[in-house]
Amino acid sequence: MRKQCFITAVAALLLGAGLAGCQDTVNTVENRDLSMNPDSVDTRKFNTDSFCRDRLALLSMRRSMTPGGVMMVQAQIRSERYGFWSELWSGFRGDNPYHVLYRFDWMDEHGMAVPTAANAWQPAIFIPGEVKFLQGVAPNSRCKDFVLSVIEDPSI
Amino acid sequence: MRSFSAIPLFAAACAALFCGCGSPARRIDPTTQGVTTIDDVNTRDWNDVSARAVNSLIASGALVRPDGRKAIVMINQVKDKSGARAKTQILTNKMRQALLASGKALTTTAVGGNGPEDNATRQIRELENDDLFNQATVQKRGTVISPDLSLSGEIINQDTQSGRTVENTFYFHVVMTDLHTGLAVWEDNFEISKQETLNIFGY
Repeated sequence: MRKQCFITAVAALLLGAGLAGCQDTVNTVENRDLSMNPDSVDTRKFNTDSFCRDRLALLSMRRSMTPGGVMMVQAQIRSERYGFWSELWSGFRGDNPYHVLYRFDWMDEHGMAVPTAANAWQPAIFIPGEVKFLQGVAPNSRCKDFVLSVIEDPSI
Repeated sequence: MRSFSAIPLFAAACAALFCGCGSPARRIDPTTQGVTTIDDVNTRDWNDVSARAVNSLIASGALVRPDGRKAIVMINQVKDKSGARAKTQILTNKMRQALLASGKALTTTAVGGNGPEDNATRQIRELENDDLFNQATVQKRGTVISPDLSLSGEIINQDTQSGRTVENTFYFHVVMTDLHTGLAVWEDNFEISKQETLNIFGY
């Protein structure tokens, strides 16, 4: 009986290791001494989905101005679904890669949302460990405030 | 006496019941609840490409003129070479609305790739020969502003199949041309790739 349990546990562990090990995660290399001088944006978050919150990490939020005087923001986001247990779970659930939708909403100087075609939900697909840069461009030069919304893609 | 099994009858009744069930019409958010098909450009795809194209165009600064006035943009054809019978006006309509909202450009409806968007600009000037109208109020010839830029593009697709896996990629290419020089001042490419696995019956 104990031998049976031991064999079952080892088999389950090997299966899990196989499932986790079969997933290709992303390794990154960057130059240590950075020459860029980014303009970082202080952010505040409102999380309603703990799964999405735990699976994606916001590494930085930066802004710049385009040649036309319009504000552009960039969110650097990394998929945190790497490591044995994360990969095992995503292997069982079929959540690799991780599909999300994101949207930038922009407000003018009066706080009124300015809707344009760029307001649409756009897909982003994250491989475990991958870093993506989600960029949003303000619809006009009056818009300086924004909200970035992220949701797990309900159609997947 | 042959034994009669009710199981096949029950299974057939269940199958008929489940297959026959539908759902009433309801409004949806197309970007999160829309249907995705592999052979067509769906609403979600149009929204995605439009957003990316608008962001790319506005970020490029191509609409900024050295003399400071707003650029006048003509909407030319976006050719559909994909065979998906894509309604390319969806993309151009969204882009023209975003161009106007940017405050950097105005679009003209007097000329277009498929003819004028609004024939009224030309039609109204034909009233100069109509004595019914107060000629002082009739729009004069020689006043319509010619466009500086032209927005055009094309959509092509590449499909492939490996076993039961079918993949179709749509490539959207959009260009803004300076009509004075004939040079492209902005262009970008966007891809939408879709994949599905067919069942053993092949659909």
